[in-house]
Amino acid sequence: MSNYDSVGVIGGGSWGTTLAHLSGINNNKTLLWMRDEKGIEEVNSKHRNSKYTKDYVISQNVQATDCLEEVANHCEIIIVAIPSHSFRRITYKLGNYVKGDQILLSASKGLEQKTRSRMTSILLEETCCKKVGVIAGPNLFEEILKGHPSATVVASHFNEVIIKTIQAFASKNFRVYGNNDVLGSELGGAVKNIVAIAAGIIDGLDFGNNSKSLLVTRGISEMCRIGSKLGTNNSTFTGLTGVGDTMVTCACNLSRNYRVGYHLAKGKSLSYICENIVSVAEGINTCKVIHEFALEVGVELPIVRGVYEIVHENKDIMEVITSLMQRKSLWE
Amino acid sequence: MRPEHKEDVCRDVIERVFEAQMQRVEQGEILLETIINDTIYHEKKRLHAEPDKKAIKYWKSVNKRFLTADRKEQEVILRELIKIFVDEIVGHFNEKVYSFSTRILPVGLGILLNTISPRVLISKFPRLPDLRNSLLIQGEIDLLCELEKKGTVILLPTHSSNMDSIIIGFALFQIGLQPFTYGAGINLFTNWIISYFMNNLGAYKVDRKKKAALYKDILKEYATVTIEYGYNNLFFPGGTRSRSGAVENHLKLGLLGSGLKAYINNLKKNKEQPKIFIVPCTISYELVLEAEGLSKDFLRQQGGSKFIIQDDEFSRLGRITNFVSSTMSLDSRIFVNICPAIDLFGNRVDKEGISYDKRGRKVEIDRYVFVDGKVEHLMQRDQEYIRQLGGEIVKLYKQYNIALSTNILAFVIYKILLRDNPKMDFYRLLFTGGEKEYYTVDEVLEPLKGIMVQLRELEKNNEIFIDERLKEADAEVILNHALKRFRVYHTKPAIIKKNEKIYINNCNLIYYYNTRLMDYGIELQENKDE
Repeated sequence: MSNYDSVGVIGGGSWGTTLAHLSGINNNKTLLWMRDEKGIEEVNSKHRNSKYTKDYVISQNVQATDCLEEVANHCEIIIVAIPSHSFRRITYKLGNYVKGDQILLSASKGLEQKTRSRMTSILLEETCCKKVGVIAGPNLFEEILKGHPSATVVASHFNEVIIKTIQAFASKNFRVYGNNDVLGSELGGAVKNIVAIAAGIIDGLDFGNNSKSLLVTRGISEMCRIGSKLGTNNSTFTGLTGVGDTMVTCACNLSRNYRVGYHLAKGKSLSYICENIVSVAEGINTCKVIHEFALEVGVELPIVRGVYEIVHENKDIMEVITSLMQRKSLWE
Repeated sequence: MRPEHKEDVCRDVIERVFEAQMQRVEQGEILLETIINDTIYHEKKRLHAEPDKKAIKYWKSVNKRFLTADRKEQEVILRELIKIFVDEIVGHFNEKVYSFSTRILPVGLGILLNTISPRVLISKFPRLPDLRNSLLIQGEIDLLCELEKKGTVILLPTHSSNMDSIIIGFALFQIGLQPFTYGAGINLFTNWIISYFMNNLGAYKVDRKKKAALYKDILKEYATVTIEYGYNNLFFPGGTRSRSGAVENHLKLGLLGSGLKAYINNLKKNKEQPKIFIVPCTISYELVLEAEGLSKDFLRQQGGSKFIIQDDEFSRLGRITNFVSSTMSLDSRIFVNICPAIDLFGNRVDKEGISYDKRGRKVEIDRYVFVDGKVEHLMQRDQEYIRQLGGEIVKLYKQYNIALSTNILAFVIYKILLRDNPKMDFYRLLFTGGEKEYYTVDEVLEPLKGIMVQLRELEKNNEIFIDERLKEADAEVILNHALKRFRVYHTKPAIIKKNEKIYINNCNLIYYYNTRLMDYGIELQENKDE
């Protein structure tokens, strides 16, 4: 028999806490690694993580810890839900303790800026584990914690990873679908954050539903284009990690990336937004990475380029929108 | 295969394949009739193309028996078919022949490779060439030798010539290792003297024209069992010789799967030395014996069985002697570059056989094959491990590839042709050789300098190797080095120099030798003065 008796989640943000809760309500002993001492105390004594998940009650099967070794010693499945800029550093530390029979999943939707690495590539580089995968999909933590019907995708090249993750997380209100297209699932999750910034801009300018629809559809089209270049299965983008995740992020004013776009359209500067409104928005870094890659490989991604120009080159929003709309008419 | 193991290995292969097939039948995955029918069908089809009276008679009789066979008799037939294939595949190893051949090989590759008369032999080799002078073995040799004592090694060379198996066999002898077991194409056994040596040097026969699924299963199981018996194995994971000349970037993973299967079986049996080490290596020739035939075949872009060339340079003895005398009479080299060893999961391995992750931390590799804390086979998981391993092997091939003068010059010329003929498609360019009849030496030397700067930078970053003799050489030396080699052997040399002009003489060959340096991101540098 295996020595592992728990499921582990690294990162006590809103999504990490929600994942730990989902595992806990499935009667899994669950270890939630977080750094904040007060947060650990709150999770363990009051079963809440008020800084990230408001007043929602977290399963009593979730125990918070600040010891990575403890998580590695007890958990066969470990989900890393850390922002992309810290992902490698924490994963490296985790790599000191994990063994080859463990399953590592990324729940972060971004690309590493310096290396352009995907999060699953970092898991492979920084640990000895081979059985890795990604969890992605339209998952707003609040709705999940309320118990509303939701679903996610676990993508891995290993069916064993998919089956065990489904067993650990699927419940009556939460469906978990499997997919072998890891690259497509990660790319969908990353590109939708860029589209979400653009969606926030559209709403900030009160452009309405036609514009939003135009943006979402052409955004998915750009997702497919870059995916084709990298060898993904395009049908992945029509699933939960593509259309599903893009729809929810572009429609929801709680999304961090959406809020970045919204406040930019309202005239706030990026530095003000990052300091005062949104602490982490993956789309900011991701659009730089994807834009540079698209230029290198010669793939046309007008929306990504537009968001890049607004966010990183401080271009006038209306000027960018005008240039996007005045592009030569093409077949769809 | 050593005589003392032959019976046990054959028995194990037959039993395992039989049991595996029967298990599939019992699980409803396939009908027993289908397995037998498929085998008979493919064998009859093969014999229709290549009639062999004895074999036709045998398969007719099997067919007749099969038509009236009850379930018990069908099982007897299945076991018989497996035995027939196993008996055909199984190799021999003869210590005396091995000792004899390795002694004579260095002083007369020509003798070993052909059956021509002594008179012709003497005229071709007035001074017998010595393979030891031409073969340069480099890379992780000590690691390979140490690991051979700590477990079973699977050596995975790149494959561009039928000479490869002979070269690698001799390289192993040179570094003090016993021959490795390997599956050689049955077409290599057509020359009786080569066949004699192949049979006795550890080769087993692989008939790529046998398409029955049963035959392929037997081949894989044979490899698995020999690995479990501790026989070091040699596979060419590219499958067949590289048609384009490029280092392999797509591997056939079936036989690699045998390694993982054997490792799991070893763990289950608590073997003392269960570990299996993967050692890729590159073989690089300044001139490739079959380059003309292979490049033509590549360009024909034919599929399926047509890729199995029966009549190329390797089957013509005159070409072999020409090749040997041409390449060995120059200071020409054949390079074997041994890559660092990895385990079956792609982790680097040290001399003690211990695996390390990418950050240098020790890895307990048996855990990779745990299912709920126990060692188990798990088909989809194991296939995925092998797919990942294939990716690591491809990376090492690229990194341990050696840039030789012929590759460098061909690469430069091909890039010049692409630059100067932007409107020509690939085939037209190769067919015509571009619009210009010749280039001046300076027109070639300038871009050559730029390419060398990039190559040296790549080498500094451990992304490729450069032939030691060219590392510090200036462009003119490299140009002349390559031209000297292109001048000999090929019936129509790739590039020739006349009156200080460089002529594009055989564009297929230029493309063939150039491919070795593709995919490194090397480009012609724009002339900024223009």
